[in-house]
Parts: sequence; C-alpha cells; structure tokens
Amino acid sequence: MLGTTAKQPAADEPMEDAEEEEATADLAAFQREYEDDHSWEALQEDEFGRLRPLDQKEEQRAKRRRLLSAAASARIRRGMIRYLQVVVDLSQAAAIADMRPSRLAVIGGVLQGFIREFFDQNPLSHLGLVVLRNGVAEKLTDLSGSPEAHIAKLRAALDCGGDASLMNALETATDALKSIPPYGHREVLIAFAALSTCDPGNVLDAVKAAKQHRVRVSVVGIAAEVHICRVLTQDTGGTYGVALNEKHLEELVNEHAPPPPARAADAAASLVRMGFPQRNAEGFAGAAFVGADCKLGDGGYTCPRCRARVVELPSSCHVCGLTLVSSPHLARSYHHLFPVPAFAEVSADELARLQGCRRTPKAKPQLWPEVPWRAHCYGLDPQ
Amino acid sequence: MKFQLEGLSVYFPYEYIYPEQFRYMLELKRALDAKGHCLLEMPTGTGKTITLLSLITSYQLAHPEVGKLVYCTRTVPEMEKVLVELQELVEYRAKYYTGPGQAPPPILALGLSSRKNLCVHPTVAEEGTRESVDSGCRKLTAAWVREAAQKNPEVETCDFFEGLERAAVDAVLDPGVYTLEDLRQYGRKKGWCPYFLARHMLAFANVLVYNYQYMLDPKVSNMVSRELEKECVVVFDEAHNIDNVCIEALSVTMRKHTLEAAARNVLKLRAAVDKCKQTDANRLTTEYNRLVAGLQERGVLNPLPGGEEFVANPALPEDILRESVPGNIRRAEHFCVFLRRFVEYLKQRMTVQAVEQESPTTFLAQLTERMQIDGKTLRFCYDRLSSLLKTLEITDMDDFTPLHLVADFATLVGTYAKGFAIIIEPYDERMPSVPDPVIELSCLDASLAVKPVFQKFQTVVITSGTLSPIDLYPRILNFHPVAIQSFAMTLTRDCMCPVVLTRGADQMPMSTKFDMRGDEGVIRNYGRMLVELAAAIPDGIVCFFVSYSYMDAIVSRWNDMGILKDLMAAKLVFIETVDVVETTLALDNFRRACDCGRGAVFLSVARGKVAEGIDFDRHYGRCVVMFGVPYQYTLSRILRARLEYLRETFQIKESDYLAFDAVRQAAQCVGRVIRSKADYGMMVFADQRYQRHDKRDKLPGWITSHLRDAHLNLSTDMLLHVAREFMRSMAQPYDRLAIGKSLLTEEQANALGAPAVPALA
Repeated sequence: MLGTTAKQPAADEPMEDAEEEEATADLAAFQREYEDDHSWEALQEDEFGRLRPLDQKEEQRAKRRRLLSAAASARIRRGMIRYLQVVVDLSQAAAIADMRPSRLAVIGGVLQGFIREFFDQNPLSHLGLVVLRNGVAEKLTDLSGSPEAHIAKLRAALDCGGDASLMNALETATDALKSIPPYGHREVLIAFAALSTCDPGNVLDAVKAAKQHRVRVSVVGIAAEVHICRVLTQDTGGTYGVALNEKHLEELVNEHAPPPPARAADAAASLVRMGFPQRNAEGFAGAAFVGADCKLGDGGYTCPRCRARVVELPSSCHVCGLTLVSSPHLARSYHHLFPVPAFAEVSADELARLQGCRRTPKAKPQLWPEVPWRAHCYGLDPQ
Repeated sequence: MKFQLEGLSVYFPYEYIYPEQFRYMLELKRALDAKGHCLLEMPTGTGKTITLLSLITSYQLAHPEVGKLVYCTRTVPEMEKVLVELQELVEYRAKYYTGPGQAPPPILALGLSSRKNLCVHPTVAEEGTRESVDSGCRKLTAAWVREAAQKNPEVETCDFFEGLERAAVDAVLDPGVYTLEDLRQYGRKKGWCPYFLARHMLAFANVLVYNYQYMLDPKVSNMVSRELEKECVVVFDEAHNIDNVCIEALSVTMRKHTLEAAARNVLKLRAAVDKCKQTDANRLTTEYNRLVAGLQERGVLNPLPGGEEFVANPALPEDILRESVPGNIRRAEHFCVFLRRFVEYLKQRMTVQAVEQESPTTFLAQLTERMQIDGKTLRFCYDRLSSLLKTLEITDMDDFTPLHLVADFATLVGTYAKGFAIIIEPYDERMPSVPDPVIELSCLDASLAVKPVFQKFQTVVITSGTLSPIDLYPRILNFHPVAIQSFAMTLTRDCMCPVVLTRGADQMPMSTKFDMRGDEGVIRNYGRMLVELAAAIPDGIVCFFVSYSYMDAIVSRWNDMGILKDLMAAKLVFIETVDVVETTLALDNFRRACDCGRGAVFLSVARGKVAEGIDFDRHYGRCVVMFGVPYQYTLSRILRARLEYLRETFQIKESDYLAFDAVRQAAQCVGRVIRSKADYGMMVFADQRYQRHDKRDKLPGWITSHLRDAHLNLSTDMLLHVAREFMRSMAQPYDRLAIGKSLLTEEQANALGAPAVPALA
C-alpha cells in the first residue's frame, strides 16, 4: 500500500514512546475536565464551621438581578389567572442516567417542587398534567387547583418508555385549554428529555393550532437544543431553556412559576366573579360531608352562593362553579403586579450625608430603597 | 463604516468589522501594494467575500490605475451570492462616499455565465443541457445563418441577438451591479441578448464575476479572459481544490464509445466536405488559400459578426505556434483522412490487455513510426478542425463533441512533452471483469494551467476556508506569493468542538486503514458509535465515508448486525448515491426530517457532491462524523503518475501529498457544519490516524486551535460525554455582549489602521 501505510522513518521507537506519552496526557486532560468531580472545591467553611458555597456573592447578585428585573417590569401586564398544562416527557430518553440518580427521578422531584411553588405564587390559577410515553400523550390530571392531588398522581406515574410525540402533546394540551374562560391565560410547559419527536402527522400544524388558540408554549429541555422546540416556543411566544445540570433544571422550571408577561390579545380583561367563603368550625360541631368526593370531615369552607362545602381554598365550587378564594390568595397574586420597589445602590459618602430617621447610621448599609423622598430609610441597622 | 487602512479609505457596509476581517484586509492591501500574488486562508462564516470585495473596490477607487476585479467562483449560486453582496456594498458606498467629486465613480459589475444561464430566447432557453443551448444559439446566430436570413426571410434568427446587433455601439449597460437574473430581465426589456451583451460589456466592467473555467480552462479563457488588462486583480474563492480544477482543464479522457462516435463524426465530416465541393467548391478553395497564407486567425475567418464562435484551442496561448498549418492537412479531404487514421490508431491502441503508461514523447515516437504522423501536425489538429467546421457552416456542435475530444487530445499531446502522461487501461482496477477500455491524457502538473494567470495578472488572490498546509500550495502551483497568511476565527464562545475518536467502547482501535476496514469489530464499533451519538445529538447528523464502496459495504454490514435498525429508531437515515437526482431528493427529505423534529442522519462520501457544495448549517448539522481518512484511491494510475511527477519536479514526498490531500478533504467535510459565528457543531474525526501529528497538524488552524487535549484520543463513551456537555452548553442563550472582543467599531478600526501603528500580524 502506498501512502496510507507509509512507514515512519528510522526513528520509529522514540516516536511511539512519545505518542504513548501524549495519549496518557490526553486521557488525563479528559479526566480533569469531565470525570473528576471536585464538588467540594465549590464549598468553603466559614468561621462557625458551616459549609457555604464559594460563590455566594454570585448567588446574591443573581437574586438581586431577579428582583430588579421584577421591579423594572412592574408596569408590565401579567396574567393572574393562569391555566397551565404541564407536559412531562417520560419517553425512554428520560431513563438516561446522565443526571444523578437518573433524569426521571430528577424531573419528578423538580416538578413536584414546581407544582407547589406554582400554587404558592398563583393561588388563583389551575394546572393539569400530561404525560408523554410510548408515542402517546396521556392526560394524568385535569386542570384543577389542588397541588397535592397533582403531586400524588405524578408520583404514581413515574416510569418511562417508548418515544415522545410533541404533536400529540400539543394537541392534548390545546384541547384541554380550548374551553377555558376568556380571562384565563393559556399556557403549556413541556419538560422535554427526548431529542426527537415521533409524530403521526405534521407537528407544525399542531404548532399553528396552538398559536391560533393563543396558547403560550414553553419548553425546558433536558439534553440539548432541538430545532422544533425553538420554532415552537418562538411561534407561540414562550421561552426555551436547556438545563446544564440538576440545579439549572430546577431554576429553569421554576422560572415559570411567576406569571409571564401577558399580551393584550391573549386574554380579555373582564370582571370575574369570586366568592370568599368562611372557614367552618373545627371539631365535631363542623363534621359534614365535604368536597366533590363527599369525605366525612370537619372544617372546610362553605360556598357563599350555594352553601356547598369545599375542602380547601383556592378552588372552584363543585356545585355552582364559583371561584372560591381567600383574601390572602388575592394579595399573593397581586404582588406580581405591584412588586417591591427596586433598591438603588448608594455610595457610602452620600450615605454619610444623609440622616436616616434623623440618626446617622453606624453600620454602612449597601442598599437603599428607591423612594422619592428620602425621609425614611428601611433596612438600616438600628444600632 | 468607513475607516482608514494605512492611508486607504475602506468602505465596509456594516457597522462592525471582525478583527480577522481587518487583518485580512491589511494583508490583502499590502499584497496589492506590492503588486504580487497572495494566498489567504480564513474560515467560512467570517464574511470573506464582503471583505475581499470591500477592500478591492476601495482600492480601485483610490488607485484608478488598478484594473478590473475578476472574481472567480466555483458555482453559479456562489456567483449570485457575490453579486448580491456587492450590490449592498455599492449602495452603501453611494450613500457615504466622501472623496473628490459629488458622487463616487460609477461601478459596473456583472456576472458572466454560459448561454444556458443567460439565454432569454423562448425556445432555446428551454433546452436541457448546456451543449444543446449552445448549439441552439449557434443555429440562430451564426454568421452564415444571418447572411442567409438577409436573403431569405424564412430563415429563423434570434430576435434578441439581432436587437443587440442593431443597437451596435449603443448597446451598453448602465453602471450598476447585475446578477444573472438582472441581466436576463434587462435583456428582455431592451430586446438584447444578455449573453452577448455581457460578453460585450466585459471590457467596460469594473468587477467581473465568473466561473473558474473562464480563467483556467484555455478552451474558454482564450475567448473571454484574453482581453483583460494586466493590472487586473484576480480572485479565486473557495480555491482549496484549484489544483484539481487546473488539472481537469488540461486532461482528456476517451472511452470506447467516444472513439466510435468520433469515427462516425469523421465520416459525416467527409460527407459534408463532398457535398460542399459539389455545391460551393469555392468556399473550400478560399479556406485552403487562407491556410496557405497562414491566416488562421479567427477574425479573418468571419467577416460577418455572428454568435457562432467555437471554443478555442485547448493549449495555453503562448504554447500555440504562430505558424501556418502544415501542408499535409491543409486540404479538407486530406485532413479527413488524417483524422480517420488517427482515430483508427487510437482505437487500435485501446485494445491492450494490460495497463500501459507512457509519456507524450514515447507516444509521438510510436505514432510517427507506425502511422507516419508527426507531432507538429497533431498540434494543429484543433485549429484545423474548427476552421473546417466553420467553413462547412456546421452549427450543431454538440454532435461533434467526440471529435473535438480527439482533436483536444491530439493538440495537447503534440504541444506538451512534459507534465503529461498517457494512460491506457483496459478495465477499471476495481472491476477487472468488466472490460471498459479508456485512454486518458492526464495532466500531472497543476501549475501549467494556472501559470499564464500568474504571469499575466498583477495580483492573484487565492483564498478559501481550508488551505492547509498553506505552504504546499505555492509549491504545487509553482508561484511565489508575497503574502501567505492563515487567519483564525475570533469567537465569543467555543462553538466548534472538534474531537478525535480513536477507540470504540471496547477500547479497540478504530480506523479505515486497509488492513482494518473489513474487521468485524471495527465495523461494529463504528456503528455503535453512530447509534449512540444519534441518541445524544439533536436534529441533523452528517457522516462522511472515505468512498462509495466503503459506505456501501459498511452500511450493509450494519444492516446485518441490526445496527441500522437501532439507528433508525433514533433518527431517520438518508444516503448519498451517485445519482444526483436521488441525492437531491434525499437531501430534501433530510432537511424536512430535521425541520419537523424527527432528526436525521445523512450518510455521504468525502469528495462527493455533498461534501463539496452542500451546507449543513444550523440544525441541519449539529454534528459531523468523518469515518476514516479520505485518501484518494492510491492504486489509480493517474494518481501514481502525478505523485511521481510531484516528487521528481517539486520534491514533494508522496506520503506528504497524500496526507495533505486527504486532510484537506476531511477539513472540507467537517467545515460543512459551521457556516456562521452564531452556529455551532461537533466535528468527530473517527480514525486512530488523526491522533498522529502528521495528520492532525495538517488540519487548518481554525480547527486545531479548538482541538483541546481533553478531546484527543477518545473512546466512544468518552465521546458521548463530551457531546452531551457540549450540546448543553451550546444551547444556552447566546450572549451578544462581545463587541470589542470579536467586533471592531469604526474608531477601533481607524486606530488599528493608522499607518503609525506598525504591523499587526
């Protein structure tokens, strides 16, 4: 053979030695970069012996950035009453163990946390679960308000197999969201582990249908950027993120807990009728059949319109369909509309000239609330 | 932006400029100042075209003595792209011009292509092939046809051509940039033939864009590029294969059916001569007298202007003897006899049993001995044939292609004693049972065809995304550039991830080396690697194999092993075939599969059509896998003759050349996935041999600079790990806060370009 197997000239052996050495060096470089897990290096011990992450500052900065952006977007219209379909990809791609212990377990854990967080931040909203498995989209729970019911169902459904089909997912989710009242904001959040979608038809038609029904679709990818997801989210106005690791996945999913900015066209502004029921007496005096499945229990709430008793708030009355909330729920939802004003950083010199509450502060605080009159200052150490 | 580059005002139609573009301009400007040739490598996706256009047109503006910019491209779409970019540039320049006078000097730029791409005649333009359009055009525009039409209005002519002729000196294009479509529209509007209008306007244009052939192939360039002035700047873009283009321009291949058709052509010619003798013997006599007088110039042959011109002599201009045609072929009948004998001789030579290889000198010696035909006669064969065809007023030239090939062969053999080899093979080495005799006149020296270009023009720029190792090109093409430079791409993130895969999951080495390629384990390892990669990489994956036969073999083995089934579960599989239509269809469906999220794998061949011309940008190619090192078929006679020649003439070692050629093909293949800075992709070099320095170091700088130690010598499982990490990190939002690091503003460029600042490179 010519060329292809061209022999090395005389200095063959030293050459091979050098090559071997290099191969070892390459292997070491690989291990350094990909295999050695020096997670402890990211921790440090403070003076009390507690372990703290090294980049605490970075974390605080990120938190502050979030707050700032929330404050800056205070004038942005947001949808308070959200109807969110969460689609969980449980195809065989979810079984890959590149996240610890496995993608499946991580997704399960993150979503449970998300469901709680979601209802915590949006007590007036509804959520439903759809599972992608074996090429079909299976509706796990209907749109409803109870976090624990969703979590219980999700826990029971955590096993995976087959292909994922985005088209089926979109169709199922869009179908469920089609019939919600006009003031509700329609959203779909897809946790997508697969890298391809096996569809019975053209997925782009499903995207078009979703867009037509004003459904905002967001995707959180678990492995890599998939073109169709990018197209899907861009067309429907959602966001698309790909998780780098377990923690990042959690962040990305939880970003969807606060309500997204709403376009005027998405939902008509209208008055919504709501009831504010009172809690019934606890104990034997209050014993009655409560809720849709008529459990015998005490406490519960009474619907102010039809006197039916419901288990928990917020929910909609299972008899007359009235939305039942309590005032703290409304307040919690409102804080997205009226976020805490942003803090402006004030230099120490300027601060020295100011007299917070007519007292010169001893400690030097870094943050200062942006209030037009600087008569009062908050956050100062009283010492 | 407009900035000063060592005293030259450069108009650049964008707000920012990449640092590498700036350095490229600087290098180019110095070459132009030095009036020398240069060789510049800059990766695709960095805006090479606009950089070139912007600098050279600005240079033309400042130095009116510089001639045209002649921009040579490989394909028509590339040509259109260049013209569109130029359009933008010219608009920008018109807006921001600040020089002497009110407006910038007008610029005329046009693309020139074959009649097939420019014809607007309603019926002729519908013809399928290039040759049929050419001959259709000649039938309507040849001088004698037009003459006949004047006497007899029944004779059909082309209205557009006549329109152009009537307009005569008024037929000019206004300044501007004309793409092929613009030319066609303009031609339709004015009723002028766009092809001949473009040909006519060549002399007045500031920027010309056309195919390599128009510059390199003597058959065409004599016609088109002869009148270009010496001060022109010639640019060869995507020139990594320029040596092959040069060689093809001077090589002739004849098969059995070619010779048989040529023999029939001779008979036809003979009949035509006889007929002509009966009807109009005068014409032949005139021709004879002219030949005697030695007036074989084309201009004298057609007193009437017409569109019938034939392609010109295949030999290079300065090698053509300015003598009269030898006596033994002056008479038409004699020439026919001569041709018949020569074709017979070739036919007889073709009946060999074993491969024969000889130099033109030996071939001529034998020819003289056996047929009493000498080299000088052969040399005139081509001119004599075109003269005869014109005299006989034959327009359907495509019928005479085989005879033209024979004449090409004869002229080249007669003209060149060195740098060529004649190879006669009775069958293809790969299929010894099928008799397929072929005579090849193979040009061995790429510098022959390109030499006149280097000699004639002041500055020749050879540029491409992959020209590595860059110092080999001046040796192969035999010229002395004043500037050789390779530029890296400045990136804001590591959007390229080249990796060298040497081992399978079982740690066994992987290679397409001859003694390993049939190995079961290697085939399985390659297959498993692809299957697992398909599960880790989204959307499109492109694979390149070393040859069609290897691809066929490995794919069928994968099918037997069940690997193909696993692969299809993750992604759809498409395969390139020799058939262009099938491949186009496969590509189309591949793109659809990527668009709709199903994901697909495209299996293709290095050196194939896909590897050379098709981009797999964005999601169409998130990963490219190069299976093996794409060496040429090393047993090929032509390659061996060429290697020998390179060794003897240029002292280039065989293994060096082969490795160079293989690695540049590999680089070309993997470069298909990154077409812009916002793009990202993995490049997997799946062969043990890439680990070795003699291969790896020949890769272009923009690949090796991203080749980290941690990505060398990987096994399949390590590769997957790298792939997952890379895909995740690349999916993160792309931060465009990179101004300053990878972009220069006008002020920064001005500061860098000030003459006070010494060399930057």
